Amino acid sequence: MMLPDTLKEQALAGAALLDKELQEQAKQQSPHASNGLSAVRDAGRVALAEQVFPDKKVEQWKYTSLLALQNGHLKALADKTSSTVSAPDFGGVTLTIINGRLPALLPEIDGVTFSQEAVDQSAQAESVFSHYNAATLRAALTIKVAKGTHVAEPLHLIIISESDSPASAAVRLHIEAADNSTFTVIEHYVGSGPTLCSSTTSLYAGANSNVQHYRLQSETPESLHIGELSIHQQRDSRVASYQLMQANTLRRNNVRVWMNESGADLVMRGVFIARNKTHVDNQICIEHAAPHCTSDQIFKGIAGESGKAVFNGRIHIHPGAKGSDAKLSNKNLLLSNGAEIDSKPELEIYNDDVKCAHGTTVGQMDSQQQFYLQSRGISAEAAKRMLGVGFINELLMALPNERVAEWARDWLSASL
Amino acid sequence: MLEVKDLHASVAGKDILKGLSLHIKPGEVHAIMGPNGSGKSTLSNVLAGRDGYEITSGEALFNGVSVADMLPEERARAGIFLAFQYPVEIPGVSNMEFLKSSMEAIYTARGQEPLDAVTLLRKAREVCKLVDLDQQFLKRGVNEGFSGGEKKRNEIMQMLLLEPRLALLDETDSGLDIDALQVVAKGVNSLRSPERSIVLVTHYQRLLDYIVPDFVHVLAGGRIIKSGGKELAHELEDKGYSWLEGHDA
Ligand SMILES: Nc1ncnc2c1ncn2[C@@H]1O[C@H](COP(=O)(O)OP(=O)(O)O)[C@@H](O)[C@H]1O
Ligand SMILES: [Mg+2]
Repeated sequence: MMLPDTLKEQALAGAALLDKELQEQAKQQSPHASNGLSAVRDAGRVALAEQVFPDKKVEQWKYTSLLALQNGHLKALADKTSSTVSAPDFGGVTLTIINGRLPALLPEIDGVTFSQEAVDQSAQAESVFSHYNAATLRAALTIKVAKGTHVAEPLHLIIISESDSPASAAVRLHIEAADNSTFTVIEHYVGSGPTLCSSTTSLYAGANSNVQHYRLQSETPESLHIGELSIHQQRDSRVASYQLMQANTLRRNNVRVWMNESGADLVMRGVFIARNKTHVDNQICIEHAAPHCTSDQIFKGIAGESGKAVFNGRIHIHPGAKGSDAKLSNKNLLLSNGAEIDSKPELEIYNDDVKCAHGTTVGQMDSQQQFYLQSRGISAEAAKRMLGVGFINELLMALPNERVAEWARDWLSASL
Repeated sequence: MLEVKDLHASVAGKDILKGLSLHIKPGEVHAIMGPNGSGKSTLSNVLAGRDGYEITSGEALFNGVSVADMLPEERARAGIFLAFQYPVEIPGVSNMEFLKSSMEAIYTARGQEPLDAVTLLRKAREVCKLVDLDQQFLKRGVNEGFSGGEKKRNEIMQMLLLEPRLALLDETDSGLDIDALQVVAKGVNSLRSPERSIVLVTHYQRLLDYIVPDFVHVLAGGRIIKSGGKELAHELEDKGYSWLEGHDA
């Protein structure tokens, strides 16, 4: 069987398995109860059955192979209910999700409601993996920040995927910051073992809201993660999204930002590091769908040994979006000849009255800089690490949350 | 300390050093003078171990060990320090972070306990003061946006912290005004000791008014064509390098 067909078969088997398990659990608790997400899973399975898994002939998957999934990640479900994986403390309120399971008690924050509601995200599906996510959900988390609420402390979501053998865990997050609210959310993906994390996150920023969003992906190199992130901005909302990631066996992020109303402002910063046969692929699209919105993206990537990174940054200025101002920069550093970075900006502009600046570069480590450090007694390896951290330093320095910044510096320098 | 014997070296496949010999004992200060393009920086880079600077024959022994077999960092840890003619800028790596890594590596190699952060910072501030470099420079990226003179003082600052056994100063005096020259000279002189050797590579005589060398060598065409005492520098100043043209040591 061809890989896409095998994967589809396994995905459907995994989804059926989970649904059966959850139905039985529900029956044991009460004969009439059904798990609240069964309708979502059913719809997911139906959609999945109609989909085709992509191969390299599909443009968006040209540089990213799904071959690693043939080991059966899709058909088995990560079943650990507790974890020894630790995550750093960034202060604020913490909520831990283990293999798609929510804690028995959800946190309490004034002006913020937590629920297990699964918001339908099928309209935003970027790929077959959105449907796989829906079909294999154990739980969903919806967070709503009330109008005018200023939440000072960050909400720290620790999302753990852990399994000893190939298996998957799905997580779905929906975050709404209502008009005039201020909110900081940290999504931190950690884990161990050959686990596939299937994530979907949707973030809604209401009119004049101020949202800081961190997406930290520090799972181990043997893990896999296919994630979708959509951000929806209303009038005069300000969103800052910081996405820091270490590559793994297969890391893919589909990110789409909808600037739906005028005056919305987006700052997006990202760092990706791929070493030792790992892979990371970011597909980012900014939809300037309303006038006078600004988007400013800076991504920096580093690849070493046989690491591979892919970056596709698309800016789509819609016909009516006059006065749009969009910037995109992706600078990359190759640490060795075997490493590869494919970076491509894509501009699609249906409007004359716009400002648009974009640039991507891929460069080598500067041998003069390296020699300078070595001539001061610093080993070649340490020099490379220092120069790598130096390369991404401007982005680390600009992280508003100091605890995240401090941790990220140590984490990323250790991953170099 | 340093024994260079009939050294031939090439850069990018081009023969630059063509039989250079030099003997430097502990405690001595040698000046190497010569016209532009004579191979002064090549010698410095060969000794420090820069990639692409290849020894094709002859040898350079540092305390009896051939440097050819040592990595640049091993040479530094053994006590060789090169103050670069053109120090490179390294944005994103702070001077202090750089000094910390460097000091740690070199202290550890010497069998000394690395300095704790507070002591290191205090020491770094002291040497900054000595070379008239504002403490703010410790926080900035290595040489990032430094003026020519600031870069040179930053080199001397590092040298004072690392206390090398053999310091090679490659045209540290070029582009410095007279005040900065005196600051640099003061720094170098403070390092002079019976265990330490210093090589001043320079194009001009004036640095030697402030750091008086024991020996002066003239390098031309990849070889030392004349050696003498400090008076040789004055002679060169009066007569120019053309005086020695066609001259063979
Ligand atoms: N990286 C290099 N590639 C090619 N030629 C070089 C390189 N570095 C130096 N040279 C050449 O070697 C010769 C000596 O240069 P250099 O050692 O810098 O002289 P000096 O420092 O005495 O002015 C010059 O002819 C110069 O052009
Ligand atoms: Mg020179």
